[in-house]
Amino acid sequence: MDVDKQKALLFGSAAALRLLLFTAFPSLPDVLAGRVELSTPVTSFKRLQEGLFLYNRNVSPFDGGTYHQSPLLLPLFSLLPNAQRYPLATSLLYVVADLVGADALMKIADTGVAVSSRLFTSSRRELRRSSTTIAAGYLFNPFIVLTCLARPTSVFTHTLILQATSRAATGQSITFILALALASYLSLYPLLLFPPLLILCYDAQSSAKPIQSTTSNALTFTIRYTSLFFATIVALLLLSYGLTSSWSFLNAHYLHIILLPSLTPNVGLWWYFFTEMFDSFRAFFLGVFWLHMFAYMPALSIRFRTQPLFVVCALLGVVSVYAPYPAVGEAGLFLSFLGAFRHVFPLMRYTFPAVSSLLYCTLLGPAFYHLWVYAGSGNANFFYAITLVWSLGLTVILADAIYAVLRDEWEVERPDMRGKEVRRV
Amino acid sequence: MFFSFLLCLFFTSLAYGSDYRERLLLRPLPHGALLASFNFQSNASSTSFEQQNFRYFPRSLGQILQHTHTKELHLRFSLGRWDAEAWGARPWNGAREGGTGVELWAWVEAASDKEANARWLTLTNALSGLFCASLNFIDSTRTIRPVMTFEPEGSHPPNALGNLHLLHGNLPHEVVCTENLTPFLKLLPCKGKAGISSLFDGHKLFDASWQTMAIDVRPVCTGDGSECVLEMEQTVDMVLDIERSKRPRDNPIPRPAPIEDIRCDESKFYNSHDSCMPLAKSTEPAWSLQDVFGRQISGACPLSDANDAERVICVNAVPERTFEIRSGAAQRVAEQVAPDMRCTALPSGPEEGLDFDLLFSDQPLTPPVNLTRPRLHAFRSMTGHGQERGGIEAVLRNPLSQPVSLVYMESLPWFMKPYLHTLNVAVSGNGNRDFQALKETYYRPAVDRERGTHIELLLEIPASSTLTLSYDFDKAILRYTEYPPDANRGFDVAPAVIRLLPNAADIASTSADERQKGVYLRTTDLLLPLPTPDFSMPYNVIILTSTVMALGFGSIFNLLVRRFVAADEVEGATLRARIAGLKERFRSKLQSIWARHSGKGEKDQ
Repeated sequence: MDVDKQKALLFGSAAALRLLLFTAFPSLPDVLAGRVELSTPVTSFKRLQEGLFLYNRNVSPFDGGTYHQSPLLLPLFSLLPNAQRYPLATSLLYVVADLVGADALMKIADTGVAVSSRLFTSSRRELRRSSTTIAAGYLFNPFIVLTCLARPTSVFTHTLILQATSRAATGQSITFILALALASYLSLYPLLLFPPLLILCYDAQSSAKPIQSTTSNALTFTIRYTSLFFATIVALLLLSYGLTSSWSFLNAHYLHIILLPSLTPNVGLWWYFFTEMFDSFRAFFLGVFWLHMFAYMPALSIRFRTQPLFVVCALLGVVSVYAPYPAVGEAGLFLSFLGAFRHVFPLMRYTFPAVSSLLYCTLLGPAFYHLWVYAGSGNANFFYAITLVWSLGLTVILADAIYAVLRDEWEVERPDMRGKEVRRV
Repeated sequence: MFFSFLLCLFFTSLAYGSDYRERLLLRPLPHGALLASFNFQSNASSTSFEQQNFRYFPRSLGQILQHTHTKELHLRFSLGRWDAEAWGARPWNGAREGGTGVELWAWVEAASDKEANARWLTLTNALSGLFCASLNFIDSTRTIRPVMTFEPEGSHPPNALGNLHLLHGNLPHEVVCTENLTPFLKLLPCKGKAGISSLFDGHKLFDASWQTMAIDVRPVCTGDGSECVLEMEQTVDMVLDIERSKRPRDNPIPRPAPIEDIRCDESKFYNSHDSCMPLAKSTEPAWSLQDVFGRQISGACPLSDANDAERVICVNAVPERTFEIRSGAAQRVAEQVAPDMRCTALPSGPEEGLDFDLLFSDQPLTPPVNLTRPRLHAFRSMTGHGQERGGIEAVLRNPLSQPVSLVYMESLPWFMKPYLHTLNVAVSGNGNRDFQALKETYYRPAVDRERGTHIELLLEIPASSTLTLSYDFDKAILRYTEYPPDANRGFDVAPAVIRLLPNAADIASTSADERQKGVYLRTTDLLLPLPTPDFSMPYNVIILTSTVMALGFGSIFNLLVRRFVAADEVEGATLRARIAGLKERFRSKLQSIWARHSGKGEKDQ
């Protein structure tokens, strides 16, 4: 079967699966939209509905404590028919968003940047998977499917991140900048991905063109696209200002992400920490947590200068664990993205314990949440313990992937060391 | 100057001779309940008020009102629930009652919203001190500015209305108790020593099935607005369970009556010497003021208006229900002022003895007084289960054969986040499915830790129909320091306030004053359980979360900053190599010691 047919079959079956779940269980999306594991206060579909309701009645949704999402989502969703009465249109939008994301992932895999970039070529490149397999890993990832059904707005951020990465990997700088600026505007954390993606884009462009890559070239490239990126974000903010005619959305949207006023449980580490935090230390630890999350970006970008795509993947992993409002959708994106690095899987050491701890959390998390919130036979520590294990499992996978990629890199330098015991000094 | 002042004083006292009056209405209700409705009214002319010349108007409250520029004030302390099914319409049409806990609303004169908020803050803090209540906890999260529900009761000059700000706050969690009654009594001219206020005993008052204390201050002007007085009305309404109130204070535990006193239903097949189905009571219980309130009235308040003395105490019961008046040594007979209303005066001088009591005897059941039916029944409850989200359902039933328009107001705490898009208003009954009951909506969403939600709905219910109003909400999880000590009890949500708008028939039948006061009813308050964290382990959480973060940071940065080498390239890396190295070092050490030793020996030789 040729690739196009495979792709059509894959995309068709993924869309059919989602639409089947949407239509066969009409109450399932609303149940999932209420799950704290899938929707967070900054992405929840129910809150989007509330914002939309207020927006359509000319009440500012940002003058309230319910809607903490982007202003541009409001006109987009008010074009669609009412999601309560005609849910199909909204469902189709989310299915299409997933398919577009999967298409971008296929393009990334097709370029082969994961195994061989401008400055680095893996010795295990023959192990790479076909792009259809990687896209299937994304489209049939249960975390991604559930997230699509729960319809949080983070789905659009994920699609835009994948699009931005695929554009950067193919050297289409303008669309890459646009997609990433839009993603950062929606969720703030994609800002972290800008430096590695810029490197990826630069590598892609300079390996495509015959011109010499010099320091001055790199510098002008960086300055041009950085300013373009921030100009796009400023333009989006101005557009939002024009739509809502007040700057209150900055407060309601971005400060809500930064200062974590909403302590609704999620799978991350922040909510319980700041529930139990002493008031006088709250500001200090908020600073520490943000600094901690930011610290990975420069470190990974410098160490993996030759493999910028892996930096993007690792940063997605960091975000899925250390972001203020993570959901399982972020973890699903990270795990599916990791599928592009199939060639380093044999080098990973703790795959089995880490994956089993994730499975354990997937099953026990909802159960313990039920015990705490509904049955009343457990307390908050039950769910908190599960989020700790979940974060630990993802951290182990992340650290293990970094180890494997480093080892792979080292084996290019020392081909004789393949399969031998190593030590780090 | 002084002469003109005296003259002015003379005229005002002439114009407003009735500066203080008090009333007590007793209405026996079905099932052995008794409504006692106390009302005290004192006036101060606005000129004397402005000159801080207080006579009956309490100085403590007057100075607070002046300092905070409060033009009209309504303060309520309430507990219990009015059972409209059994007790009929509310006293004063609900205009003198509040929601459970404390409710306060006032018109404050200020040039801007900011100034109004500052004055409101001063007002709540000052009243908090005056009434020994936690009114100072009415902060911005519990304050709203109602738009449709309340209208000023007093007559304010039309040019001042633009600067008047209405602020409303409530404290549903506040437990109203004796410490609030003492300051309330101190505001009265006779301070509970004489007059009907001598009946107030905290033990009985707060033991009532339903109780509300109200303080209302409003300016009242004559028709042309030339002369104004500041009227202060203090009201106490309560429904007492007569049986319960008659229990002696030193032995308040209810005990079963001796078996000889119980009349059994002998038609029951199981009736025997040791099993009994008590018959329903066929007599009205005997009671006196002494029994029910624990005290007698000690004479009339000498400061009250003499013209009004004949109608101080009124009993609203059918004429068949007889009672005896014991007023010192003198004989008194109640005056029949209306078919169902008998009134009497209080003894005013020491010559006839001051003690006053009403004695109701045990007598066969009389037909109950014709209770006015309420114009609306309202119930509000929470739906759903669990501590994550829930719903509110309010059922408003219109029993009358004409439509009723009303304003429904809710003031919700910020941690209860309603979804207005789920608001559903449905009318059932009379086949009007498509009836648009919701006419207008005012909605101000909550902001976390800054202000609460404010919803006002203008609704219309068709004749003999039921309106069901529902919406969903989410519960927020709070910081652990924001929970009260009894966190698992839940949080109180203030009652909904419902104002019935007058229809054409009412406007014809009621007086202007009643219209100005309005017709209100309030639902009961709700208990909102929130998810709670574990309060015992902030340190554990900080340590465990930090450990996970340190583990991630440590392992990733450890990988990033180190480089790989082959195991066999490192010296002393493997265990065997390390043991070999140790052996080698040991051997060389021994050799060097041996060499030194032997060298020494050679030297010695």
